[in-house]
Amino acid sequence: MVDVVGLRKTFPARGRHAPAVTAVDGVGFRVGRGELVGLLGPNGAGKTTTIKALCGLVRPDEGELHVCGIDVRRQRRQALRHLAAVLEGNRNLYWRLSVRENMEYFAGNRGVSRAQARGRIDTLLERFALGDKRNALVSDLSRGMQQKLALAVAALAQTEVLLLDEPTLGLDVETGYEVRSLLRELRDEGRTVIVSTHDMPVVQDLCERTVVIAHGRVLVDDRVDHLLRLFASRAYEVQLGAPLSPGQVQTLRRRLVSVTVFDDGLRVQVDLAQGDDLYVLIDVLRSGGTPIESIDRRVIDFETVFRRLVRGETAGPDGVLDLTPDAALDRTGHHAAVRA
Amino acid sequence: MLTVLEANVRKVVIELMRYLPNTISLIATFYIIFLAMFLGISVIGDPASADANLRFAIVGNAFWFLLLVGVSSMGWELTTEATRGTLEQLAMSPVGLRTIVLTRMLGTLAVHLVITVGMLLLTMLTAGQWLRFDLPLLAAVLAPTFVAVIGLGYMVAGLALVFKQISALLQILQFVFLGFAFVPLAMLPWLELAPVVKGVDMVRHALVDGATLAAFGPRDWVSLLLNAAVYLLLGLLAFTVAERRATARGLLGQY
Repeated sequence: MVDVVGLRKTFPARGRHAPAVTAVDGVGFRVGRGELVGLLGPNGAGKTTTIKALCGLVRPDEGELHVCGIDVRRQRRQALRHLAAVLEGNRNLYWRLSVRENMEYFAGNRGVSRAQARGRIDTLLERFALGDKRNALVSDLSRGMQQKLALAVAALAQTEVLLLDEPTLGLDVETGYEVRSLLRELRDEGRTVIVSTHDMPVVQDLCERTVVIAHGRVLVDDRVDHLLRLFASRAYEVQLGAPLSPGQVQTLRRRLVSVTVFDDGLRVQVDLAQGDDLYVLIDVLRSGGTPIESIDRRVIDFETVFRRLVRGETAGPDGVLDLTPDAALDRTGHHAAVRA
Repeated sequence: MLTVLEANVRKVVIELMRYLPNTISLIATFYIIFLAMFLGISVIGDPASADANLRFAIVGNAFWFLLLVGVSSMGWELTTEATRGTLEQLAMSPVGLRTIVLTRMLGTLAVHLVITVGMLLLTMLTAGQWLRFDLPLLAAVLAPTFVAVIGLGYMVAGLALVFKQISALLQILQFVFLGFAFVPLAMLPWLELAPVVKGVDMVRHALVDGATLAAFGPRDWVSLLLNAAVYLLLGLLAFTVAERRATARGLLGQY
């Protein structure tokens, strides 16, 4: 449905002393029909450039971009018939037009008359809980409502592919949940959705897969649940009956990948990265006669996984998490198709 | 295309209503300018040629204003859209940015034409003085002239896409167009190569000298049509190049 292969883009220098900026350097991924994929990365990683290249708003230096089999670079307008995007959230709207007028205007710009769009607009306004605001000016809406309207405008286009840049940015918790629920509905309709976001609960809650970009390259392309399992399975929290001695702490820090000591030595968080790390832990505790009250596997959230990925942590309990694109082939089955 | 045109004309009209104080001041300005022309030329000018002078002054002024609106509206709209954050949405339309800015310009021109004609009628009613215009001739000359205006509009819009801040250029263009609208071609024949000047000159002949459609020969019409076609093509070319440059440099949507 969406194929990105070897995408490269360097923006020329602006001004005499400013250097050229390589935004993406060989980004590649594939998103299948009905998938909801999270595009993640730190600021300046190349997410927005990737999305804008897919929308035809940025012309890449190299690489191939296909939407529904259509080459975005060569047949931009045809490709745009199959995708809609929300790039700047509530700024994508006309604030002096009403909710309904905005939807009618954007439908008109895609060649859909007001009469043709009327029924669909009514349905979407109800579904996005904007029915009673249909005649309100956008400037009078809350930010959450504006964001929902921007999504509704994108949904109105009835395209197979939706690209959303930061759809939950700046929303309160309740509206964030609402938007997530709407995104889930869009996915359930069979649409292909790519969400670029910093909102990790959105990724953990909604996305089957995530593509993490850093420094213009794909760092990891894997299933979210797999990444969570991979990182969660090695993180443990140990509650102790007596505090650790400074010598024990020193030994643990020397022999294990990551050790954090809390509550004056009564609680220890460890990453048991290697197979025999558990024995190391037990040995150190036994050597000091430290009683163990409980050992719990730590519940890990996707934010932690993301931070570790971006920091370049690759060691997993079942060996080594190879973050090269080839390594993700077996898990996702997507890179193989891209490379082929 | 018609649906896109309808959507954009409707948007222009809705925004005129939403920015009502601005619209009212625009209408009032037209009324005052036309009234001042009627009264000024009637009182000060030669009574024998007052009617012709008044017609030319009014048509010249209206034409200058519509020329300005036509040329600057595309660029102005794009700059405003980029500031608002809606330019990217327009650029993602499958009909293409070129079509959308054209329909927006036609909508803006149509609305301003209606206001101009309406205020002219109101002024004539107020002054109790009715002017007669050869409307078929005006339409035949002004239609191709405005095709050239579309070309100029595309050039300005292209500059707006790449450079965004074009208000200084638009201010300078006001004076250039003032020259185009009021300097007779007989004084500077080479100005025939400039956009719209031939059209304005033909209108001047019609209104001041009483020339009819038959008075203009094939050379006049060919010059007028060729001028329109060349500037339209140049405009489209400039806009296409600017759009490519904007996408290459990632400038679409940035202000």
